[in-house]
Amino acid sequence: MHLWSWLKTFFWCLNLSWCTFCHATSEQPLRIAVASNFTPALKKLLVEFHQQTQINTQIISGATGALFLQLKHGAPFDIFIAADSTRPAQLEQENLILANSRKTYALGQLALLSMTAKVQLSDLNKPVNRFAIANPDTAPYGKAAKQTLQHLGLWRQYKPTLIQGINVNQTFAQIRSQAVNIGLVANSQLVLNSLTGVIIPAHYHQPIAQQLVIVKHSNNINNAKRLSDFLLSQTVQDKIINYGYANIKAQKGKLADD
Amino acid sequence: MINPDLLALLTTLKMAVLTTVILLFIGTPLAWILAKTQSRFKVIIEAIIALPLVLPPTVLGFYLLIAFSPQYLPGQIWQQVTGKQLAFSFSAIVIGSVLYSMPFVVQPLQKAFEQLGDPLLEAGAMLGAGPMDRFFHIVLPITKASYITAASLGFAHTVGEFGIILMIGGNIPGETRVLSIALFDHVEAFDYAKAHVLAISLLAGSLLLLAAIYLLNRPHKRSINKVVNK
Amino acid sequence: MNLPSLITHSSLPLCVNVQLNYEQFTLAISQKFDLQGITGVFGHSGSGKSTLLRVIAGLEKQVSGNITLNNKVLADSHTKQFIKAEQRHIGLVFQDARLFPHLTVLANLQFAVKRCQHARLELNEIIQLTELDTLLDKHVDELSGGQKQRVALARAILTEPRLLLLDEPLSALDRQAKTRLLKLMATIQTELQIPMLYVSHSLDELQQVCDKLLVLAQGEVVGYGGIHEMIHQLNYLTTTSQTEEIIHQQTSLSLPIKHLDNGYGLTVLSLNDDEEIYLPVIAKQTTAQSLRCFILARDISISLMEPIHSSIVNHLLAKITTITTQKNMALVTALCTKHGEAQEFFVNISAFSQQKLALSVGQKIYLQFKAGAVRTYLY
Repeated sequence: MHLWSWLKTFFWCLNLSWCTFCHATSEQPLRIAVASNFTPALKKLLVEFHQQTQINTQIISGATGALFLQLKHGAPFDIFIAADSTRPAQLEQENLILANSRKTYALGQLALLSMTAKVQLSDLNKPVNRFAIANPDTAPYGKAAKQTLQHLGLWRQYKPTLIQGINVNQTFAQIRSQAVNIGLVANSQLVLNSLTGVIIPAHYHQPIAQQLVIVKHSNNINNAKRLSDFLLSQTVQDKIINYGYANIKAQKGKLADD
Repeated sequence: MINPDLLALLTTLKMAVLTTVILLFIGTPLAWILAKTQSRFKVIIEAIIALPLVLPPTVLGFYLLIAFSPQYLPGQIWQQVTGKQLAFSFSAIVIGSVLYSMPFVVQPLQKAFEQLGDPLLEAGAMLGAGPMDRFFHIVLPITKASYITAASLGFAHTVGEFGIILMIGGNIPGETRVLSIALFDHVEAFDYAKAHVLAISLLAGSLLLLAAIYLLNRPHKRSINKVVNK
Repeated sequence: MNLPSLITHSSLPLCVNVQLNYEQFTLAISQKFDLQGITGVFGHSGSGKSTLLRVIAGLEKQVSGNITLNNKVLADSHTKQFIKAEQRHIGLVFQDARLFPHLTVLANLQFAVKRCQHARLELNEIIQLTELDTLLDKHVDELSGGQKQRVALARAILTEPRLLLLDEPLSALDRQAKTRLLKLMATIQTELQIPMLYVSHSLDELQQVCDKLLVLAQGEVVGYGGIHEMIHQLNYLTTTSQTEEIIHQQTSLSLPIKHLDNGYGLTVLSLNDDEEIYLPVIAKQTTAQSLRCFILARDISISLMEPIHSSIVNHLLAKITTITTQKNMALVTALCTKHGEAQEFFVNISAFSQQKLALSVGQKIYLQFKAGAVRTYLY
């Protein structure tokens, strides 16, 4: 009993000092769970968002799959900006999102990148002994990469040479650090890092529709809505395209059935 | 606003200190029982405690995430008692760290208690010292070095923990974003400059801590050279 | 030194009636001790003597039966009473001293003082008594074996125990340290009047300081009685068991000192009032009035005529009471009687000699032994 009260006091002290310390920042900011490939772009856009709305935000960046799993188990995020459309759709089915909040905010583009040589699209026809793509089963850009190689009829040849990153960021890091000479990454990564590669034609793979959803149990729904509107506004959409994404309007018809 | 990395550092320290303190409180009786018992279940308990040594953190993290979520019993109980959700809270990462760093605290203590054995405790009892008296005046001073080792290993391991916290913490600034995750974020964002600063401060901090511990843990100098010839 | 006696009652009977079962070992003891002076507990390794001490101390918990000390129940499996070791007010000196390695000698002693409720003993006086003055600041790992045991003894005394248990405290020491500690035990007993239970596998040590002796074998009591009487009983036991290596058949004596030095380097003891026994001078001076000594049965020889023309100084007329033969040896018991007092002597001779002299019970003989054959452990 004595021990317990001692422990409780200790907890209390720690918490107290902590809270007084954090008081300045304790006003609940908008918590944004964002797929890591969109994080750099979002960070730039949020500067403008804050200027316009004075809304404070917190970025929780991670793999779409991990963030999805956490949301399913009650993660206190307000808005989820995913790198694909399947996880947002799944959340919608499970009734975890605000009705009609699922929106496509960007269309990913796949790009072939090499740091050691200037690449052309035709280089894809010459499989090398190591080729980097993101995990085709979990990462949206990995899935698109697999579809691209299948489209070219080269999947079987490529399969034994693949170095799979857990997400497209890892794949990008592998190529950029020249650990792997060549691979398929997101075009937005090239744009943000001022690198040049080759954009894979959109019809080689299914569209990489990146969607956002507003979390149903969020107590910051209004601000989340404002962010959603902001991202979908024409001016911001133009910026997103400049960051290396395709125009979402180009795919509107195709997206309806996923 | 505080610098986010400083916030992560403070969160990390708070988590690691709390985890270490809790581990010492839980670890002492646990290690004691394990050191003294002859029970068949001893092996099973030892194996369970050692599990985080072999289990990938993400596996442990995944199951803790499920357990802590409001859909399952442990998470529900917590929510009813405290009124707050357990998953993605600071409490969750402390509980996760306690489980994950348990072997680093329990094992050195258990070894120390086993090595100490009964002789000095019996001597203490024969001089009129009760169980608590014996613990504080015989066991604790003699196993001090092991306590320092256990605490520093537990602390260091908690600071370095990544996988579980990422899973059950949700990377929330000021709440569950700790240094290792902030570092990962910087690397993910190709912000190597910030990553280097964090990595170097983590390295320097750990080095300082460990050096301080070893300094503290140095055996006392005694006039052993004086040979007693009687 | 004038130390307060710790004992308020003239006698503190200890009743032990216990049974303890281990996988390979059973202790079954039912014994009352009057606890006057020092009670020796003798037995071979595995006889259960250390276990008996641990049972009395409260360190063995799986015991059935009961133990009472001075009418106070220490443990009773029937009524589920069990007083913890730390509440029994019993001191225990372990074979391996068990000093606290993180404390100095003084702090080890203070550990006991702080936990002692009465504090009738002065720490400084005990330090002087146990001659620890110069060692107080030392760490325990700087001490010799003998010094460690002196600290352990002092530490145990400072708890002011109702009963002091000594578990082979001398077994790891050299001869000199043994002698010193034995004398110290005897001094402490007389000065402080603490009843002691002293376990040893060395009969020589027990013979020097004990008043009573309990003999154990295989977890059971073989005998209990006065020290000399018990040692003499053991002489017979030797012939029937395989214990010869440890027990030397002997005559155990406590005799008054008549002259400390007769001018020829011999100390003279008196036997049965006017008989004399000579032995090499034990000490230049001593306050002792009497001397514990023993004569090994193999050091005494038998003569049919009075050996007046012999260099052997000790010769006594005695009457054979028993003759026991085993293999090629004979154990002869002879009684020396004078002025209504009698002393039994034990003699080991070869069966060959016994036949040659045609010895028989009731026969008068002369026992002879050299001065050097009268041994004493303390001097």
